[in-house]
Amino acid sequence: MIIEINNLTKSFKEVKAVDNLSFAVREGELFAFLGENGAGKSTTINIISTVLKRDGGTVKVCGEDIDGNAALIKQKIGIVFQNSVLDKRLSAIDNLKSRAAAYGIFGQNFKKKLEELTELLDLGEIINRPLIKLSGGQKRRIDIARALVNDPELLILDEPTTGLDPKTRRTVWNVIEKYRRERELTVLLTTHYMEEAAVADYVVIIDGGRKVAEGTPHDLKNNYAADFIRFYSRLNEAEDLFAHLGYAVKRERDFLEVEVKGTSQITKYICSYPQLFEDFEVLKGNMDNVFLNITGKDIREA
Amino acid sequence: MTEFKKLCALVSRNMKCYFKDKFLFFVSLITPMILLVLFITFLRGVYLDIFKQIFAAFGFQLAEQRVLEGLAGSWLLSSILAVSAVTVAICSNAVMVNDKIENSLNDFLIAPVKRTTLSISYFIANFTVTLIVELAVLSVGFIYLAVVGWYLSFTDVLLILLDILCCVLFGALVAGVVESFVSTQGALSAISTLVSGMYGFICGAYMPLSQFADGMRNVICCLPGTYSVGILRNHFMSGYVNKLTELGLPAAGTEALKDGFDCNLTFGGAFNKVVYEGGTQIPVWAMFIILLGACAVLLAAYISIVVLSNRKK
Repeated sequence: MIIEINNLTKSFKEVKAVDNLSFAVREGELFAFLGENGAGKSTTINIISTVLKRDGGTVKVCGEDIDGNAALIKQKIGIVFQNSVLDKRLSAIDNLKSRAAAYGIFGQNFKKKLEELTELLDLGEIINRPLIKLSGGQKRRIDIARALVNDPELLILDEPTTGLDPKTRRTVWNVIEKYRRERELTVLLTTHYMEEAAVADYVVIIDGGRKVAEGTPHDLKNNYAADFIRFYSRLNEAEDLFAHLGYAVKRERDFLEVEVKGTSQITKYICSYPQLFEDFEVLKGNMDNVFLNITGKDIREA
Repeated sequence: MTEFKKLCALVSRNMKCYFKDKFLFFVSLITPMILLVLFITFLRGVYLDIFKQIFAAFGFQLAEQRVLEGLAGSWLLSSILAVSAVTVAICSNAVMVNDKIENSLNDFLIAPVKRTTLSISYFIANFTVTLIVELAVLSVGFIYLAVVGWYLSFTDVLLILLDILCCVLFGALVAGVVESFVSTQGALSAISTLVSGMYGFICGAYMPLSQFADGMRNVICCLPGTYSVGILRNHFMSGYVNKLTELGLPAAGTEALKDGFDCNLTFGGAFNKVVYEGGTQIPVWAMFIILLGACAVLLAAYISIVVLSNRKK
């Protein structure tokens, strides 16, 4: 396990930010850590990265207790913050130079690392420009380069694509995926985009500082989200049948949507009423539904 | 060794952040320059008249206008340099405060760099930047004195440079301690405004201490900033005072000039028209010791704040 957290607690005055939280992250996996704003994600991340002290519980990162050698843990982790924290007036290269120096990377070692990151993130054209003159996507690439400057074993992505357009989001994820594959990097992700969480190997959802659900996206969808059948023909007949059977039925302009619990149920109805299933599709419940059903909140509004 | 290289890299980064922020750099540099121009434009004449009155009281007629002009210029320049050592330091230390406001500090704290190293890097960068600005103002001031009347010896110049080092050290430490508690843009602006407005008065730079009520003068003499003005006054004005003695100003007149214009700082006693009566005169070496002692106290406070913030996180 690259992260092992047991009974973690942290309060700010009377506000309990993290309340008896336990979870573990395996090496090499993409781990999604979900929760609405103020749920305790950033506090947990700050404790993992040894910036913040905890009130109780135990935290092990990269095999080291955070009370032990914090410098060793810091050497092994990289973080992409929600908002860029780099120096806006300095060039990308100056930013990376000062951050690399903080990890003891100087001179030729830095030059080598810079070449590697420039190639990986396609920084060639922007490396000498001040950050203030870069687009949101370009800045994000520099943020990622900064997080990877120390060859981390654990990369923490705190809402890395918030505010980016879909194309830039895709680019950011392509880069992260490529690096992950090449280096077997462990990624701890917090995000408000549930489609990003859907590709994670494992998901933990917290609410009010407490863990409220965990599992693979598949398990969570099976346990917390319903499936849907969409009929595009024979709408009246399908509506009569499923309404009669007591299912929630939603009629739209050109289709009928029936909420069904579990894929096995759908198979049963296809076999029993094949004449109804002329033009239809089965939609698996998604992570948005999972989050909504578990926390009672829409994460995009949270 | 690695920690030292990290420190050097951080100092370089902090200084780059300051110099790349053109507005911040411009404001820091231009404020003392504007003060110099304003002083010369509006106060030069006033001080020339006061000097003439003192000389007249001792029956001394000064034929050399360049000495008079240089004396007024050196007094004004010592005021500006003493004040701007603190105000520029407060302004240029904005890099440290901005790091807190914009969360860049966390970006360094997640790296294996000691918080102490970070704090020292802010201090060294601030000290260097303030020194650069002070030296720029000093250069302009020296050009002005060379034009209106230069009577400084080489030793005076060296001592003035030493004074500036002490003043900048004091200013950078004051900024470091005060701004350790600042974490919002509003608070930073408020502190900058407050210090810019007040400091010149409470260190006796804008007005000679002899013009204050005795009680107030004694209070101001308890503040270490007063001695940064005192050492600069002595070394800027000594060349001119020597020249005046050479030209025939009686010893009593010289003392009156020194008393009236803060070369002689006196604690207690009373200022009677032109000279202090009673009280304890503070010699220049004691001014240095008081100023450096204040620096030591501020340094201890700065270290304590860093250690405490380490524990508090």
